[in-house]
Amino acid sequence: MSLLGSVKAALFEVIDPELGINIVDLGLIYDVQVEGNHAKITMTLTTPGCPLHDSITNGVKFRVNQLKGIDDVTVDLVWEPAWSPDKMSERAKEKLHFG
Amino acid sequence: MKSETNIKLPLSFIIFGIIAFVVAQSTLFFGHDFIANGQFRVPPIWSGSHFLLLGFAVMIAMGAMYQLVPVAFLTPIWNEKFGAVQFIVTALGITSFAILLGVHASYAIYGGAIAIIGILMFLFQMLKTLQAQSKKNVMSYFVIGALSALFLAIIAGFTLAWNFSFTPFVSQDPMLFTHITLGVAGWFTLLIFGFSYKLVPMFSLSHGFSMKWAKPAFLTYVIGLVLLIGSYWLETHSIQTVGWILLCGGFTFFGLDVREILTKRLRRKLDKPFAFAVFAIGIGFFVHLIAAILSIAQVKSPTVWSWVVFFYIMGWVIASILGYLYKIIPFLWWTYKYSERIGKEKVPTLKEMINEKASVILFTLFIISIIGLTIGGLYSIGIVVFLFQGLLTITSVLYAISVLKIFFI
Ligand code: HEM
Repeated sequence: MSLLGSVKAALFEVIDPELGINIVDLGLIYDVQVEGNHAKITMTLTTPGCPLHDSITNGVKFRVNQLKGIDDVTVDLVWEPAWSPDKMSERAKEKLHFG
Repeated sequence: MKSETNIKLPLSFIIFGIIAFVVAQSTLFFGHDFIANGQFRVPPIWSGSHFLLLGFAVMIAMGAMYQLVPVAFLTPIWNEKFGAVQFIVTALGITSFAILLGVHASYAIYGGAIAIIGILMFLFQMLKTLQAQSKKNVMSYFVIGALSALFLAIIAGFTLAWNFSFTPFVSQDPMLFTHITLGVAGWFTLLIFGFSYKLVPMFSLSHGFSMKWAKPAFLTYVIGLVLLIGSYWLETHSIQTVGWILLCGGFTFFGLDVREILTKRLRRKLDKPFAFAVFAIGIGFFVHLIAAILSIAQVKSPTVWSWVVFFYIMGWVIASILGYLYKIIPFLWWTYKYSERIGKEKVPTLKEMINEKASVILFTLFIISIIGLTIGGLYSIGIVVFLFQGLLTITSVLYAISVLKIFFI
């Protein structure tokens, strides 16, 4: 797998502890870039001022930093465009509906 | 930007609050005879009600605000060291005040003075923190309104305690009603309104709602409070009735927004503690409606009104706090224990940290207790009050155990 692919795969392992759904399925990840050994992740959260703010962005940093070939991770938290439910995967929607 | 507060600060407030909750219910149990006879202005009830409202509810609210204000308003707490000192002063003040109210009311003013210094320090801290917020939103107005009401409530409380020790300089009855209205309806209700606008959408994962009633709710409720307080001093029943109608109207506007938020939610199944906090909003609406109807019907019985106040406090304020606390504690503990490990290894979800089944039983026992108490109190049946205040005391112990257990996960 390419390094970019590994970074994307690793993000599936970061779970929102309130909803119990990973942040990729929730549609929080807007962009992932890898340049050399530096990963840059652009993401959002479901609500501005979410109390899990720091925990989730730190989680992303830790998880991606663990990957071989990555030495440096930047997380860019953006509110534009704002998150909306249609950014979620079908899997996440189903889980919210029945979970 | 790092905006989170060091967990130790909110946790200190919350642990103190949980212990005070048990002490409060035990003290009230000790005074069950007075409750059954409709005598509330006696030492054990003064003591129990302030352990409950100051020791539990105010302390929990402070702890929650230390945690939530930075994340919700995106501005860090002004000074956390000051916060630690504030905790110690307030805890000492409230404890000594509530004890003195029970054993030697004419000295209560000294404990009360320390409690007031602690609360003023908190108000100063929040003022400094909110000042740094660049853009005010609707939630800010509710919080600023609530903090202003808290300030006035403790000043009123101070004059009441003063009158116990020295030559009275204001009449006690209208001042007591003013104190209760500001403390219970002004401070707690506005605060819960404000935080609900943040927490209800968050816990239900709601999207695309309007909050169009927030401003009318705020204005109507505040004008209602002003009129209600005015009516105590002017002794005009019609103003009191208009006041209650406005409070009921303000509550209804808030309820309409909550209903819209919930209908637009993505999360179908709400977790139980949060569902209980939403249920408390229903009780709150019901109490406001009853109060408005009683006032229109010119019911003046002090016993009936005492139980309206009781139900207002327990069914709306305390129930909301008990529900949210069950969400806040796992969150705080999770942040402390697992936030560094998220993404590194398998960490529990917040839901896995609580026992939902136990919470449903506790919330049910709580509701049964306060209904039983109200019936026993309204009909002055001593044994019923004894049994249900006993049940409430046991429930409070079990509640404390069940939330403190989270810290051992
Ligand atoms: C938000 C905080 C507070 C709330 C919600 C609150 C609420 C109440 C309530 C419901 C009562 C009636 C209880 C009863 O009759 O047994 C009461 C009475 C009283 N409160 Fe507070 N209180 C608060 C803070 C304070 C403070 C800080 C002081 C004094 C420093 C104080 C002093 C008093 C006194 C002296 C009475 C008894 C007055 C009388 O019966 O004549 N309170 N309060």
